[in-house]
Amino acid sequence: MLTAPPLGLYVHLPWCVSKCPYCDFNSHALRGRLPESAYRDALLADLDEELAAVPERTISSIFFGGGTPSLFSPSTIGRLIESVESAGRLAESAEITLEANPGTVEHASFADLRAAGINRVSLGVQSFDAEQLSVLGRIHGPDEALRAIEEVHRAGIPRLNADLMFGLPGQTPEGALRDVEIALDAGVRHLSHYQLTLEPNTLFYSDPPELPDDERIWAALQRCQAALAGAGLEQYEVSAYAVPGQECVHNLNYWTFGDYLGVGAGAHGKLTYPAEDRIVRRSKKRHPAAYMPGPLRTEESRLIDRPRRVFEFMLNALRLKQGFPESQFEERTGVMQQSVQPGFDLAIERGLLESRAGTDWRPTDLGYRFLNDLQAIFLPLEGEERG
Amino acid sequence: MDLIRNFCIIAHIDHGKSTLADRFIHLCGGLTDREMSEQVLDSMDIERERGITIKAQSVSLVYTAGDGRIYQLNLIDTPGHVDFSYEVSRSLAACEGALLVVDAAQGVEAQSVANCYTAIDQGLEVVPVINKIDLPAAEPDRVCQEIEEVIGIDASGALETSAKTGAGVREVLEAIVTRIPPPAGDPAGPLQALIIDSWFDNYVGVVSLVRIVNGELPLRSKVRVMSTGRSHQVDRVGCFTPKMTDRDVLRSGEVGYMIAGIKDIDGAPVGDTLTLEQRPCSQPLPGFEQVQPRVFAGLFPVSSDDYEDFREALRKLKLNDSALHYEPETSGALGFGFRCGFLGMLHMEIVQERLEREYGLELITTAPTVVYEVLATNGELSKIDNPSNLPPPDKREEIREPIITASILVPQAHVGAVIKLCIEKRGVQKKMQYLGAQVALDYELPLSEVVLDFFDRLKSVSRGFASFDYQFERHQVAPLVRLDILINGEKVDALSLIIHRETAYRRGRELVEKMREIVPRQMFDVAIQAAIGGQIIARSTVKALRKNVTAKCYGGDVSRKRKLLEKQKAGKRRMKQVGSVEIPQEAFLAVLQVEKK
Repeated sequence: MLTAPPLGLYVHLPWCVSKCPYCDFNSHALRGRLPESAYRDALLADLDEELAAVPERTISSIFFGGGTPSLFSPSTIGRLIESVESAGRLAESAEITLEANPGTVEHASFADLRAAGINRVSLGVQSFDAEQLSVLGRIHGPDEALRAIEEVHRAGIPRLNADLMFGLPGQTPEGALRDVEIALDAGVRHLSHYQLTLEPNTLFYSDPPELPDDERIWAALQRCQAALAGAGLEQYEVSAYAVPGQECVHNLNYWTFGDYLGVGAGAHGKLTYPAEDRIVRRSKKRHPAAYMPGPLRTEESRLIDRPRRVFEFMLNALRLKQGFPESQFEERTGVMQQSVQPGFDLAIERGLLESRAGTDWRPTDLGYRFLNDLQAIFLPLEGEERG
Repeated sequence: MDLIRNFCIIAHIDHGKSTLADRFIHLCGGLTDREMSEQVLDSMDIERERGITIKAQSVSLVYTAGDGRIYQLNLIDTPGHVDFSYEVSRSLAACEGALLVVDAAQGVEAQSVANCYTAIDQGLEVVPVINKIDLPAAEPDRVCQEIEEVIGIDASGALETSAKTGAGVREVLEAIVTRIPPPAGDPAGPLQALIIDSWFDNYVGVVSLVRIVNGELPLRSKVRVMSTGRSHQVDRVGCFTPKMTDRDVLRSGEVGYMIAGIKDIDGAPVGDTLTLEQRPCSQPLPGFEQVQPRVFAGLFPVSSDDYEDFREALRKLKLNDSALHYEPETSGALGFGFRCGFLGMLHMEIVQERLEREYGLELITTAPTVVYEVLATNGELSKIDNPSNLPPPDKREEIREPIITASILVPQAHVGAVIKLCIEKRGVQKKMQYLGAQVALDYELPLSEVVLDFFDRLKSVSRGFASFDYQFERHQVAPLVRLDILINGEKVDALSLIIHRETAYRRGRELVEKMREIVPRQMFDVAIQAAIGGQIIARSTVKALRKNVTAKCYGGDVSRKRKLLEKQKAGKRRMKQVGSVEIPQEAFLAVLQVEKK
């Protein structure tokens, strides 16, 4: 039943120039010099171990995330890619993405990153409004963001994503639309469009800014989506829009409950062992100071039982506009779809889920708008889980 | 027995009963200074927080009087709130005398008048005490005159004290010795002991507060509970000093506790008589009148898993509180719970609070209702304590609502505001009499108008000076209707009300508006309607939410998202599902909030 899915590689680079007030990621404001070589060595050792644990599987995508990976030199990034390649484990034409923040790529050029093997860049633009950028604690301005987009294009990096946020403090629907239009005018063909949320353990959470109400946010989203559709960017995931062919391979692998190795401080991995009918999640020590020295870098290793597999699959796959085929559900979870029919029935009854041809499942428009309600239907019941 | 005095204190809330009791304990050395915490008699958390006494308590004091002899003074505490007046008569049954404590500034209050009459009826010697004479506004002479005019007893020998400063306290103790008669009774006769109160203690089982009328109750004797006929070995007897102090025997005339390994909480009913197995008495003592609950409400556990715990908690509370009634109730909206009967709103709040605090239960309470009599078209008369049980209009001839007589005492300056309030509450004036600085008003009022907020309103319109007491009179025909609340077209039984036709429209509109504020926005529009019979009289809509907020996902880390969803789901578990609509618990009390506006 259980089949080995594609395998991705996530590499976490946890430092930023400063911590943004909305961010609750595992990132640390840089104090003093970046411990680049020590961290690189730790990553290489970590990577070797991870690859050894999955002999004969090839990596179909790599994602350097952060933090601000662009703080690292292209040569470090190159070393890591090379390490996978020289082991003969990198798939042909694998997607290799690097997250970069405008204003952090001065010391090296995107051309150097291109030469190191990066073929996709994800830019943390967030907004093109100078005032909003300062409220969000970003270190860049609108011009730097536009310049960064231009540089990525000029460097011949074929794929580019821009991150934008909406529902920002005091933002009007027009303001949100303007950000999207500027991105489209700059030639962005893949957009991650997130609503600002106030997460615990952030500055915004303890001192919340005034956010637009439900109606204004809805109006903003409607107008942005119309503009994106007009420019040929289709919504393929709840927060992702792309010109067909530009979809992010690495993220699609998460959303289809694929496997991935997690390398770096606080990185998460997930691996399927079909022969043993096991799915295991592993996470690395969160703090760089604990992670770097090794040799034990794993924080937690956890077997994912069946109810939890179902939930995690649905949590991811329902984010996709096209949903999922039944066969994929069964291959990736090792659970027969019929055995969780009650959840499906409830979701259908509440108008949140529909099927095409009785075998392909996808969220309805209502289900897409109320994704949390839809996903919550598949939460494991108390006591249903083991360990 | 000549050296025993049993007495209680009749006082209005805040007139200084607890402070005076503390002074007595202090003066008689019942507790060291270190042990002396403020107001030891109110021992329940709720009592101390609210500054009221709910349960009867007793304390035995050792007092060396002016005549050089050593007396045992037993103070039996009495509750001060109108809801608990039935407990007063129990306390009085154990006493030969009562101190009537009146605030030197505020004067006589209605509650004390009622209790004082009960004491006089039961043959107690009443000793008036004017307290708080240290206050600048104190007018002891005027208050004396008021006692004579309002209550009609001789107040020439009234004692003046300040429990706060301690002035005149010893004189009060002397008066207890000289003016209150010692208990009568036959010390050598067969045991007859009255159970004044019983409560359940988790460690020792049932503890009973008893008054020995005749004979004696020794340790390790076999005692028989006369109504059940069951016998128990006496494990401990003693007095509260106010610490629990064990003794070898309780003798005729004394008041103390008995622990006899009674595990069954119905094993020692209040008002019952104890006697000795070896030498039983022939007749039980007259017990107490069974009190009837006046206010009913449905109580439902938020989680249906708690139903059995809830039943057990009620069973235990009932031992300490014979006025509490309960029987199973099933609601379409709230599931399985209990229909509970209370003496009044304060009683209801206290029971609710104890269930939540002492038993850790989370409960939803429906709007309280009084007991109506309904005459059906077939001539049958039934009592209705739940609006959803009201027969349909074509099956009923008439509805009769309970009417009470409220006795109100209010200073002249506020009499206009009080009359206005009584009229608003559909009151009919029966008497108005000027007595010194106060006015005595008697009004007939529908109980349903009184239970919800009359007491609070009375206090507020009279700046705290009016006091009142009430007595049930009769059931009387009234133009009453049932107001139903519909959510997305579905009637929510737990939200139905029986109300006066004239106020039904206004209340319907207010209630619908209040519900609109309380019900959170959901995936779809929620229609909230108020209806009388089949007719919709008010409606409002909770607009649908546009969408959820989907947060960014984290490099393959699903745990945060899962936690978030679990938290949201847990939040929804505390709501009640009516059809497909989720309704928060507060909605079921919206009726009260509307009323209190």
